[in-house]
Amino acid sequence: MSSAEAGPHSSIVRSGEASVLGAPLRWLKVAVDDIREGLRKAPLWMALASEEIADSHRRTVLGPLWQFLNYLVYVGTIALFIGPENSKDFTLYVALGLLVWLYIQEIVSLSASLFLREESYINGTVLPLSVYVMKLTALTATRSAYALAGAVLIAFYIGITPTKALITVVPAVLLLLVGAPGVITVFAFIGVFYRDFQFIVGHVMRLLLFVTPIFWVHGGGGGLRGFLYHWNPFTHYLNIVRTPIIEGTVPTVSWIVTLSLTTLISICAVFLLGAFKRRIVFLL
Amino acid sequence: MVYLRANSIGLHYPVPADTPAPTATATIATRIGGRISGADGAHRFVTALDDVSFALNAGDRLGLIGPNGAGKTTLLKILYGIYEPTSGTLERHGRVDALFNVNLGFRREATGRRNIELRGLINGWSRREIEQRAIEIIDFSELGEFIDMPLKSYSQGMAARLAFAMATNFEPEILLMDEWIGAGDSSFQDKAKARMDEVVKHAGIIVLASHNDALIKRVCNKVLLLEKGGVKRFCDADEYFSREKP
Repeated sequence: MSSAEAGPHSSIVRSGEASVLGAPLRWLKVAVDDIREGLRKAPLWMALASEEIADSHRRTVLGPLWQFLNYLVYVGTIALFIGPENSKDFTLYVALGLLVWLYIQEIVSLSASLFLREESYINGTVLPLSVYVMKLTALTATRSAYALAGAVLIAFYIGITPTKALITVVPAVLLLLVGAPGVITVFAFIGVFYRDFQFIVGHVMRLLLFVTPIFWVHGGGGGLRGFLYHWNPFTHYLNIVRTPIIEGTVPTVSWIVTLSLTTLISICAVFLLGAFKRRIVFLL
Repeated sequence: MVYLRANSIGLHYPVPADTPAPTATATIATRIGGRISGADGAHRFVTALDDVSFALNAGDRLGLIGPNGAGKTTLLKILYGIYEPTSGTLERHGRVDALFNVNLGFRREATGRRNIELRGLINGWSRREIEQRAIEIIDFSELGEFIDMPLKSYSQGMAARLAFAMATNFEPEILLMDEWIGAGDSSFQDKAKARMDEVVKHAGIIVLASHNDALIKRVCNKVLLLEKGGVKRFCDADEYFSREKP
């Protein structure tokens, strides 16, 4: 009667050992199929993401607006107590840094336990794993959109100088979005293999909040601070969004670092997905 | 043509490394569970299924029976595609749906209605199809106003009603079921039986895992007896029950 299908209509499933393709090629095929099917299920992961957002705010009065308020209060407090007094530049610096940081932090800390939290679905349905990855991407992107609204508000209040470099903020935001699924996949697999990982990640992210230049400005000096500034990948993800707005220039080094790192992580993600997609259900 | 063929299917998986070694009292022979073999520590593995073969064609209703842990649910999950066998092949032709434990694949915080929508999206239905089918599902499940209550407020039987209505509304050609019926009341069981007959009438296949002999006898024409992950018997239901329980 209908064309709807729960699973593949017809299939021959052979055990992995019987496949004629070499391992890396087979992994690539498994991963590409998973991703393709996952993308086709966009209405599903968007629904699951909105379900989760609704869950976390169920029966609250302000609902997701808490996200927006949280961010404004966070930025306001830092600007008031940490920065130089009445420095609008510093407020904008913190607002932008924190916006990107909170997005990255949420992705990293939620992805380490992603597959463990989705055990009920992984164990009860035949959905591609990329559905869960995309769900988390949609979830964090939506939550960050509330913070983004706060950042835009602050930017308008303080005022920003229009420069040519400003346009690069658009591809920077796109890179942050496009890079997320790769990071989520890699961390989600590691989180299943090593159960301590989610705690390590939580701990390290708390430290990185101070190590990353969010609340402090790098004066250009060397030493330990300079070293941590340049060798901390998060610095560069912050810079591609922040530098064009604050300084009106395009941070070339940061672009090279973030583009390479994102590509590398995404490739790792594809191979992890291919190699472990079918085994993950036994490891949960 | 709908068919389901298992050729020498096996499934082994490693025991988590931090699982304690078996104690002396635990090594007494038993019919329960799969086989655990290999050296101690990280190299132990469970043989959940070993060399399982059978062929089902349109109209067949297979009853999966065996003691707890014999591999019934594991086999259902392989037939559905959640687990990939570590040896052997599975050939399947036909639209499949499965009814496992209602805690799997449902959101407990979401309402019954929302769970229908989500299941529809999982199955790849269009918005319009979901709306139309939701009406039929709600009607069949007889949940009334409870359909707009969160799933966590449902009794086991209510959840089973919803799960069954959802899985069968989709008109599966191959329907896999695990112990679902115990929770429903007798009026629902009759209704469910009629619905299953319909699936079979449309030249489908049913695989039903249960400890309820009366139910297997009533629904199934073939029986697969599993023990410790291996096939103990595969035969016609009449033959099995006439010999087993005279």
